Amino acid sequence: MTTKDKYKKVAYYPGCALEGTGHAYNRSTKAVGKKLGLDLVEVKDWNCCGAMEVKNIDPKIQTYLSSRVMSTAANEMDMDVVMAPCNGCYHNLKKAEYDLANDEESVEVVDRLSKKAGHKTYESGQVETIHALDWIKDSIGEEGLAERVKNSLSGIKVANYYGCMYTRPRHIFPEKDQGPGSESTSKPHFMDDLLAAAGAENVDFPLKTACCGGAHTLSDSDTSTKLVLNILKAAKLSGADVIATECPTCHSGLEMHQIRAEKTLGEKVDIKILYFTQLLGMALGLKAKKVGVHENVSDSMKFLKEKGLG
Amino acid sequence: MPIHEKSLIRPENLTTHDELVLDGVDVSGHWSTFIETRVVKDYNESMEEEIAALPGGEHIHRCWQCGSCTNSCTVNAINPDFNPRYWIYLIRMGYESELLRDKDIIWQCVSCNKCTYACPRDVFPEGVMKATAHWLEKKGHTTKSPSMHFDEVFTEQIVKTGKIEESRTIRRFFSRTGQALMQPWMVEMVKRMLKGLPVSLLTRMGLATLFAPRTSDWSRASAALEEYIDEQEEKQAQALSLAELVETAKQDVAA
Repeated sequence: MTTKDKYKKVAYYPGCALEGTGHAYNRSTKAVGKKLGLDLVEVKDWNCCGAMEVKNIDPKIQTYLSSRVMSTAANEMDMDVVMAPCNGCYHNLKKAEYDLANDEESVEVVDRLSKKAGHKTYESGQVETIHALDWIKDSIGEEGLAERVKNSLSGIKVANYYGCMYTRPRHIFPEKDQGPGSESTSKPHFMDDLLAAAGAENVDFPLKTACCGGAHTLSDSDTSTKLVLNILKAAKLSGADVIATECPTCHSGLEMHQIRAEKTLGEKVDIKILYFTQLLGMALGLKAKKVGVHENVSDSMKFLKEKGLG
Repeated sequence: MPIHEKSLIRPENLTTHDELVLDGVDVSGHWSTFIETRVVKDYNESMEEEIAALPGGEHIHRCWQCGSCTNSCTVNAINPDFNPRYWIYLIRMGYESELLRDKDIIWQCVSCNKCTYACPRDVFPEGVMKATAHWLEKKGHTTKSPSMHFDEVFTEQIVKTGKIEESRTIRRFFSRTGQALMQPWMVEMVKRMLKGLPVSLLTRMGLATLFAPRTSDWSRASAALEEYIDEQEEKQAQALSLAELVETAKQDVAA
C-alpha cells in the first residue's frame, strides 16, 4: 500500500486542547478531512499524552500515557497510523516511540504500568504517528490540493509558524531531514507548501521555529509575552497579514499574549492568527464558520471578507 | 578569561582605597583597585551525582563546555544571566554557592529544546535544567516555582481522570500560587473569546467545567501511576539523602 492510500483512513487523536481552547483546530481539521475525502476514526477512549508538564514530574509517565493511546489504536482498533494535529501530542507520541525502541528501562516501566492498568503493552513499530501536515501533504499532495481549490488564497500574505515541538529534538523524528520530499527540522516547509498550493503568498519568515514560551504561558507570563511579541513583530515586518499555526498551544499562546502585550506593555501588533487548516478549509470552499474562525480570539472575519473568503 | 575566574571581578570582590600611598607613590582611588584573594572551601562533591539521579539529568557528565546550548537558548536571548553551559560547569565542579546565585531563574527554561537540538554530545541540557530546578527545590534552596506548581496541578488531574480540562487546571493553578485569576488582560481575552462563540459551544464548555471529562476505565491506570510516582519519589529522596538533610535541620533547630 502506498503512503497515499495508507493515510486515507487514519486513527485521529485530537488531544485535550482540541476539546477546549483549540476547538477551532479540531473543527477545521475534521472539516478539511471530510472535504478531501479522508477518513478520521477517533481513538477510542483516549487519554492525555502528558503535554509539556508531566515529563517534568517524570518522563516515563509521559511515555506510558502516550503509549496507551498508541496501544488502543493498534490493538483495539487495528489501525496502523495515528494522526495528531496538536504539536504537543504529536511530539509526545514520537518521543514515546523513540524511547520504546531505544531504552530498555522505558520498555520495562511501560510494560509494568500497562499490565497493572489492564491493557496490552504498546510495542514500538506498531503504529506510525503523523502530524496533520503529513496527513494532507502525503495523501493529497500539493497538486491534488491545487486541483480542489475553489477560493484561492491569493493576495493573502502568510507567515508560517511551526513552533518547537514539531521539529525538536531531531532524534525523535527519524523521517525528517532525509533529503528532497522530506520535512526539514531547521527550515520546515510542509505548511508553506500546502498553503502555497492553495494560492497563498508565503513571506520569508525567520522565526518559523522560534519558541512562544508556551510551556510557561501562565507560570512565567512576562517571558512568554516577550517571546510572542518578538514573533508577532517579526511576522509583521516580514510583510505578513496572517500567521498560520499548526498547534493549539502556539495558537492560543500567540492570541493570549497578543492581548497581554497590548494591555501590559502597550505594544499593539495588528496581525491575524489562523490555523493552517482554517485557511485550507476556506480555500476548499468552506465557510469561515464551518472552520471555526468565529471561535478564535483574534478577530479575522472582516479581513477574510475583504479577501473574498468566508 | 578562564570561566572559573569570571566571578572574581564582581563588585563585591573588588576593593579600592580612597587614600593610599605605597613606597611614596600615591595610588589613591582606582589606581589601588584589586581583586580580593579568595579560598573556595565549599565544593559540593555529590552535587553532580545527585542531579544526575533526577530525571533529565542523566547525561550531564557528557558535557564538553562547547557552549552550543547557551548560544541557542531562547531564554538567554532575553536574560543573559540564564546560562545553561555555565550552570553545567558549576554543577560538575561542585561549586554550589556560585550556582545558588542563580537559583531563582533556573526554573524559567521554556523547554523549547533548542539546546538539545544543538548539543553535539547529547547532554540533553533541557533535561538537565529541569533536574537542576528539581534539585534546588528538593534540597530546600528554593520554594516551589510557579512552573512546578503548574506541572503538579496538571499531572494530578491526568493521574486522577486521564484527561485535562483546561479551565479547571488554570483555576487550580491560580489558587495554588495565590494569584488573582481575573487580571485585566485575562478579562479582555475572555471578552473577545465570548464575542464570537456560538451558544452550543459555550454550553459544552460550561458542562466540561462542571463534569470534568474523564477517560473511562481509568481507575486501574490511575492506581498504577500513583504507585509508580510514590516509588520514584522514594528513590529520589534516597539519592539526594533527604532524610539526613531533615535530621541535620532538626538538630540545628534543637541546638
